[in-house]
Amino acid sequence: MTPSGSRRLGAPKPATVEADSRGTPAAVGAVDVDTVREEWVVEDRWWTSRPLRRRYFELVLIDGRNVVVFRDLVAGGWYVQRA
Amino acid sequence: MRSLMIVCVLYPRFELLAALGDRGALLSEPAALAPEAGREQVVGEVSAPAEAFGVVRGMRLGEAMSRCPGLRLVPPDPEGVRSLWNTVLDRLEATGAEVESDRAGAAFFESGGLHGIHGGDLAGVLAAARRALGPGARLGAAPCRFAAHAAALQARARRRPGSAAAGAPLRGTVVIADEAARDFLAPLPVALLRTRPELQALPEVFERLGIRTLGEVAALPSRAMAERFGHPGLLALDLARGRDTPLAPRRPPEPVVERLDLPEAASGQQLERALELLVARVLARRERRGRGLRGLAVSARFVAGGTWRTTVTLRHASADPERIRLALGPRLAELPAPAESLGLEVEAFGPPAQDQGRLLDEAAAVRRARLGEAVRQARQAAGAEAALKVLDVDPGSRIPERRAVLAPFPDAPAP
Repeated sequence: MTPSGSRRLGAPKPATVEADSRGTPAAVGAVDVDTVREEWVVEDRWWTSRPLRRRYFELVLIDGRNVVVFRDLVAGGWYVQRA
Repeated sequence: MRSLMIVCVLYPRFELLAALGDRGALLSEPAALAPEAGREQVVGEVSAPAEAFGVVRGMRLGEAMSRCPGLRLVPPDPEGVRSLWNTVLDRLEATGAEVESDRAGAAFFESGGLHGIHGGDLAGVLAAARRALGPGARLGAAPCRFAAHAAALQARARRRPGSAAAGAPLRGTVVIADEAARDFLAPLPVALLRTRPELQALPEVFERLGIRTLGEVAALPSRAMAERFGHPGLLALDLARGRDTPLAPRRPPEPVVERLDLPEAASGQQLERALELLVARVLARRERRGRGLRGLAVSARFVAGGTWRTTVTLRHASADPERIRLALGPRLAELPAPAESLGLEVEAFGPPAQDQGRLLDEAAAVRRARLGEAVRQARQAAGAEAALKVLDVDPGSRIPERRAVLAPFPDAPAP
């Protein structure tokens, strides 16, 4: 729940991610992935009609940036998020 | 005008002697204070026979044992040392002296103010100190602390024939006249500077540069010393030239100590309960006179022998038992062995209750009002979202966007 008159911090933003055959990101935007530092799955609200299932990746890109992206396993699509 | 004279009282190897107690005969064998439990594994004070093997204070235990395989290790007794040294200082203070002492075994006081009550001259003051302390102490007197310490190091219970201290008024005492201090220090080795904690590293550097005596240090230009060694260099120069910083005598302590014998070797929760009881007892002592506690020392005596002591300074003086217990509690986890008794001593009191901060802080209220006005002005100029604050909603959530929100900054922030 968001308190009235406030807005969420760290809301996910849609991202363009190229993934390989196993679903692991190979590039974010036009920048290739150098290393996958960590990978984890978050599941929540599975008891409601709007369950949340995400597969997160913490990546190091070849330009040195450290980014966190996730694949929405319910609705599909990739997002970038400050984790 | 009467010149300033500082008297140094020196007991070599005091900590080792205090830890040995009635086993003083061990001093004639290679012996050293064992490392303190839970601290760095280096030996403490060493006996003269151990020194002959090349063992020195601060040496790693392994190296000391390999240099002297027969070395006897004596469990340190910081509680015993403190108690014994306080007795020495109390005796000195009973002569009227204002005493400075940073470590057990060495104390300093200025003789000038005591001449009137001890025969009118320095010799009378030294005789009074000797009567108070007995024959074991070495006394040195000189115009500054450093020279007095060097003089006391040269004092011997039995005077050596033809020694430089032939003019000493009493056995075990060396007096350096005002004008002779620099000449007295000149032939002494630079290693003597190590008696000052802030100059520990300097003698080694001097020796590498070929500067071996204090006279050679004194001859160096102060500008070069400042450039090469900074503040420690200038201090070393002052000391070598017979000048030193003024004494900072201790304030006579108000001993408030509570000790609890533990029925069996206690640890963990039992120790916490014991500490709670000790805090309550200390707070109930009449000597507190409504003052908060600022500095405290927790001590323990181990089942296997030896003692342990640690001091805690509270950020704000407090008489709140819960707050004091929270500050002291983590130190109990540092206890390296089961304890048979636990002690709590007040090292410093805070101000009396009437000196504490006011409940209604006007300055804070004024600041809040100004901050509220600034927020209103910023909103007027840049819109409703000009002043926001981060509000933690669910900081531990696995879903990042649920952890915090940006909320409007209130016009009148809460106190």
